[in-house]
Amino acid sequence: MSSVRQYELIYIVPPETTDEALAELQTQVEAITQRFGATIEKTENWGRRKLAYEIGKHRDGVYVLHVINGPAELVTELDRRLRVFDLVVRHLVVRVDEELAIAERARVRRKSSMASRRVRRGLPPEPTEAEKRRDHDDDDMDGLEQGFRGGRDGDR
Amino acid sequence: MSDEREGRGGGRGAGGRDGKDGKDGKDGKGRRGFFRRKRVCKFCVDKIDYVNYKDVKLLAPFIPERGKIQPRRISGVCATHQRALQTAIKRARQIALIPYTTD
Repeated sequence: MSSVRQYELIYIVPPETTDEALAELQTQVEAITQRFGATIEKTENWGRRKLAYEIGKHRDGVYVLHVINGPAELVTELDRRLRVFDLVVRHLVVRVDEELAIAERARVRRKSSMASRRVRRGLPPEPTEAEKRRDHDDDDMDGLEQGFRGGRDGDR
Repeated sequence: MSDEREGRGGGRGAGGRDGKDGKDGKDGKGRRGFFRRKRVCKFCVDKIDYVNYKDVKLLAPFIPERGKIQPRRISGVCATHQRALQTAIKRARQIALIPYTTD
């Protein structure tokens, strides 16, 4: 039995692509995902962007991102099919669930360690609004510098 | 936070120590201590756990003009985050968000 994983699929189509052609491509992608019992969690259209390098004759492209929850076999199939579509200039599938889980664990760990450290110092676990503000303009050297220069001018 | 890293070459921070007797004669010796600045990992400071390959603005400071990945010894990124940054940059290159090389 294959387990459900999270993938991000990005593909680039030429900017002159009509909306219908793009919609057609998206329904094709949806059809493939449905066949594997997968779900599309999110779809983003980034619109027209300049490519960092030329791909074939293209300098610009329309980026489309899908976040898909599905099995590993889906990716092989998607990869194969997207390679065949002439419309797709470039595509990329990345597995993200493990990385996001690691990031989430790190975030939770940091938060709990910060809270415990604060409690040990006798502070409330969450930083208050006033403390946050003080953290922000902590390393401001500009005032100091100006004061010094002004003093030397005065001596002269 | 980020402006602390920008003036890396400037070395204003450690200046006070050598400044007093650092005339021309001692320049060669004192220079290293003079210009070195405490380098910090941007990702640790900003508490970025996931280096997102889709975020060009995040990756851009670590890609010098030539398009290569900036080494850790220059950027000051910690080993963990450099590894994450490396994969992120390589992914971004594949999907043409970042150049492999420029001219």
